[in-house]
Amino acid sequence: MKKTVLDYLLKVRLPLVLFVAAISFLVTFYVSRPERDGVGYAPEQPLAYSHKLHAGELGIDCQYCHVGVTKQRQALVPSVNICMNCHAVARKDRPEIIKLREYYESGRPLPWKRVHKVPEYAYFNHSVHVNKGIDCETCHGNVREMEVIQQVKSFTMTACLDCHRDPKKFVPYVENVKQGPRYCAACHR
Amino acid sequence: MSENNKNQNKKIEKSFWKSLESYQNDSKLNLENEFEEGVTDDFNPSQLNGISRRKFLALLSASAAFTAAGCSDYHDQGEIVPYTNRPEGILPGSSNYYASTCNGCSVNCGILIKTNLGRPIKIDGNTENPINNGKICAKGQASILDLYDPSRIRKPLLNGRETNWSEVDNSIIAELNKVSESGKKIVLVTHSVHSPTFKSVLDKFLEKYPAAEVYSYELFNNHNRLDGWERLYGNRNFPKIRFDKADVILSLESDFLGKEDNFIENTRLFAKKRDVNNPDEFSRLYSAEGSMSLTGMNADYRFRVNPSNQIEFVLSLLNELRKNARVNISLPDDLESLVSNYSLSRFSEEKGIDQIKLNYLLEDLLKPGKNALVYAGNALPLEVHYVVNIINEILNSTNLYAHTSAAVEVLKLNRHSDFQALGLELSSGNVGAFINLGSNPVYHFQDAGDWKQHLSKVALTLSVVVNENETSENCKYVLPAHHYLESWGDSQTTADVYSLRQPVIAPLYNSRQTEGILLAWTTGQTYTEDLYHNYLMENFKSSIFAENKSPLAFKNYWLLALHDGFVKIKTEDKTLTPEFTTPLQIPNSSKSNEFTLSLTENYFIGDGRFANNGWLQELPHPVSKITWDNYLNISPKRANDLNLKMGDMVEVTSGDKKLEVPILVQPGMADDVISIELGYGRTNTGEVGKNVGFNSNIFLTSNHTNTAYFYNNVSIKKTGNFHKLISTQEHHAVDDSSVKDFHKIRNIIQEGTVDQYINDPEFLQHHKHKIFSITEEHKYEGNKWAMAIDMNKCTSCSVCVASCNVENNVPVVGKDQVENGREMQWMRLDRYYSGTPEDPEVSNQPMLCQHCDNAPCENVCPVNATNHSTDGLNQMVYNRCVGTRYCANNCPYKVRRFNFFNFRDYFADAYYDNEVTPLVNNPEVTVRSRGVMEKCSFCIQRIMEARSTAIKENRELKTDEVTTACQQACPADAIVFGDMNDENSAVNKLRKHNLAYHVLEETNVKPNVTYIAKLRNIHSEDA
Repeated sequence: MKKTVLDYLLKVRLPLVLFVAAISFLVTFYVSRPERDGVGYAPEQPLAYSHKLHAGELGIDCQYCHVGVTKQRQALVPSVNICMNCHAVARKDRPEIIKLREYYESGRPLPWKRVHKVPEYAYFNHSVHVNKGIDCETCHGNVREMEVIQQVKSFTMTACLDCHRDPKKFVPYVENVKQGPRYCAACHR
Repeated sequence: MSENNKNQNKKIEKSFWKSLESYQNDSKLNLENEFEEGVTDDFNPSQLNGISRRKFLALLSASAAFTAAGCSDYHDQGEIVPYTNRPEGILPGSSNYYASTCNGCSVNCGILIKTNLGRPIKIDGNTENPINNGKICAKGQASILDLYDPSRIRKPLLNGRETNWSEVDNSIIAELNKVSESGKKIVLVTHSVHSPTFKSVLDKFLEKYPAAEVYSYELFNNHNRLDGWERLYGNRNFPKIRFDKADVILSLESDFLGKEDNFIENTRLFAKKRDVNNPDEFSRLYSAEGSMSLTGMNADYRFRVNPSNQIEFVLSLLNELRKNARVNISLPDDLESLVSNYSLSRFSEEKGIDQIKLNYLLEDLLKPGKNALVYAGNALPLEVHYVVNIINEILNSTNLYAHTSAAVEVLKLNRHSDFQALGLELSSGNVGAFINLGSNPVYHFQDAGDWKQHLSKVALTLSVVVNENETSENCKYVLPAHHYLESWGDSQTTADVYSLRQPVIAPLYNSRQTEGILLAWTTGQTYTEDLYHNYLMENFKSSIFAENKSPLAFKNYWLLALHDGFVKIKTEDKTLTPEFTTPLQIPNSSKSNEFTLSLTENYFIGDGRFANNGWLQELPHPVSKITWDNYLNISPKRANDLNLKMGDMVEVTSGDKKLEVPILVQPGMADDVISIELGYGRTNTGEVGKNVGFNSNIFLTSNHTNTAYFYNNVSIKKTGNFHKLISTQEHHAVDDSSVKDFHKIRNIIQEGTVDQYINDPEFLQHHKHKIFSITEEHKYEGNKWAMAIDMNKCTSCSVCVASCNVENNVPVVGKDQVENGREMQWMRLDRYYSGTPEDPEVSNQPMLCQHCDNAPCENVCPVNATNHSTDGLNQMVYNRCVGTRYCANNCPYKVRRFNFFNFRDYFADAYYDNEVTPLVNNPEVTVRSRGVMEKCSFCIQRIMEARSTAIKENRELKTDEVTTACQQACPADAIVFGDMNDENSAVNKLRKHNLAYHVLEETNVKPNVTYIAKLRNIHSEDA
């Protein structure tokens, strides 16, 4: 039988094109996955606040500002008056602190850009994790080194479940660690 | 009797019927089944309302949003905006609780309001307040929706146009002074006043304007009860009744468990005497009533007595009882001679009442060593109350009176006839100013003449109201008032408790507090939010603080009282001696063949003031299960004679008043009584309550021969029209038309009698056979959640349903969707009748997701959206659900609800689609949308909260730590929730109880909701 152009197209060209397309899709899918999950997301904040300076160099405890973290679901971004506890006297002349004081004195809301987020239909609870002895770093990375806060781990359901299934691997430092709940209603209600 | 004796040891075999149609075995009955073929035919978006202006705008903004989203950073997670200055004690995300006082009715229960991020989201009873001991009614539960009602007035209005407060203040003060100078009268109309401080503001107003007069009213009041009390005892302080000590109760036309006075506390006390662990102490409830009430449904014996014959009944009873009186009381001569004319046997003969049951009643009332009580309803004339008080003296029932908690009147209520006089006065032009403070006389007192014309003759008419109503529409000024959750206040309804009300949210609109407005006008001060607050504090300081002689400084004492929500006042118990003064006049009783029309209050929307509350409109009526309507109840026999069916319109004629209303054939109605509920047919309220039902207030008149609540010689005539009444009863019927008689065999309701239980505690277990499974049982370690419902205590008051709606963001779907069987309530109360339609016995059963161990819904879900958790919950994952509805099809209990529409957008042109209503949502529970199945979650959010507290405190979750919303709300404490893996938990004990059973347990689905079989306290000969 005579080989036609159509044969060539169907037998060689088409599979090749499909193969290349599929491979490039898969590669892109997996390579871009952390990017799509938000890993590395570090938006510009309304104030150039440095975790590296406050948490790292000054060694302020996370809970000093994130007051909800042992008490409730939300860790809470500090209200401006917490900043003013120190900055009413400390470094009053720096441009960023002047901006901060303007927010405080005018009562204008300070709109921090949100970095870490689990979807609304997942009811993540900070307090149960922190009170069990899991440290912030496990999920949020080494914030003490960050000039600008950024996401370093993905916040997907897989990420949650990986740890709930095998906590010894992810939080080896917690004594007598037990598996976390793995049923739907633990997070979804 | 011999027939009865023969059956004595026979097992009770009752056949239950859910509706008259099923009793008559009508196979043509359309059950309006949720899953019947064709039920989704109208699910065609093109047949819906079409694109409204609102929808068009929504689409427009959605497309704009899409465009914007496409161009922006997809990582953007939005913003977090913290407080600038976080108030101490407020942690955004955690709930705060504030004690306050409800003002839905005249009881003024103590409440605890849960607020989250500054907005109230749930109201429950304050457990420490002795008025209601932690429980509130459905109206109180749902009243939170009224705060976020989008139809509230937002700005002061002058002749329908927006104006501002300073102009209003100036012109009204000027006009009031002008009226005062002209010598004309100033009329203030308000509902009942229980606030001593508001009373003093009114007094101040009266002092400044001596020509003013206050009219305070309640459409449903206890005038007759208090009058009857006053005539015998000389005071109006009706005591609290110790229903928890009463062994025999005879209720006369009284719905003391359903809607009368403090029925929530009555229910709590009554349920204490229905404890299965104390079967010897069970109380016995007799009820004599004309129409079927909630109390009648729960009675052990029920007599059908026309309300106008009650006077004969009590006089006959008095005559019989005084022969064997426990306490000898010499009756005055006139009463003596009157009473001796009456006899119970003649009464039973003439009115066709079972003589045997009446003998039981007599015997029980006089049984030595037992506390018996006769309790008359508010609708009955004062003569009946007077005689009942004498009977209670004879029975020595006065020890059931708690005088320490007697009722007190801060301001005496006006009579119905006063409003007729007011109508005349208004029309004569003698009134210069008409000030309506939150009430609605135009709607309530239709016999006072043409109000529109009356009010047009008054120079200054003004209404201070939360929502527009029939009265405010005829007023020149309409001023927005604070909702009670935005207000300060105090109240005293019983001698021993003084309660405080505090605002829990800043005013949503440009409204003002009613008391503050009046205070500002009286004193000439400028209105501020603190004006009445300070006045209240001053008043508190000079009264309660001064009297209590506390060692605390005033500020601390005030804050403590505010924190608790009330102050206890020391009172002493006393014994009253009856004094016979005025002779008794006997009112007319019904003799003709015509009907007696009985006018009653609606269980949920009250006298109409909750008509705009969707949650309450949609709560099925406890007896008829009708939603969104009122109707004329008629007995099955008379309906048959007149060839009437449910929904047929009839013309009711009482005197010169006529009204066309639909019929409901109600089993258990007395044959010569028809009844209708008031509160419907509002023409001016928000979008929700407008034109729902029929305005039957037209029948109310002060020219009555008995009381304002029932009228003799009423006739009805079929008109040939039809009105569709929407009932939830036939929906989700466990008995489908093809398997109709199954519920009679399936033991869905299991009951016994007290005697039977005492003689053979295991009587319920005999017929049970061993159920085995072919698969291995799953083991549950750790907590396993379960519920038990004690049907001896449940009265079917429906507070659980209301509480569940608020807690779990259950949407209102509207009348047309309830008709299609698409109501969304996660919990329902099934009502079964047994016996004859004339004299039925009623069984109620709360039905909710049973969280079966072998849940049939789980096996059929193609996407595993419903499955089991390790702590025994049947969980529903909304994100996975694709809406096949297989699960609902396969659920034997029919407790799953499907979102046919995005009800939040659909109902009544997007009822929830506004900026305020969504604020009522509980942030801890997902708001579900179209195409998703949902059902009871055993309040998973509360379980998780308790769990997180346990982890915080580094301990195991304690057994009875979790309280579900229905359990917390149940006034009878019939619902118990807890860990069944714990040997000592209350729920575990109930699961092992001899009276415990599961519904449809032969199917081996292993439900985790246990029911405790109802014991009827009837004589063994009747069993």
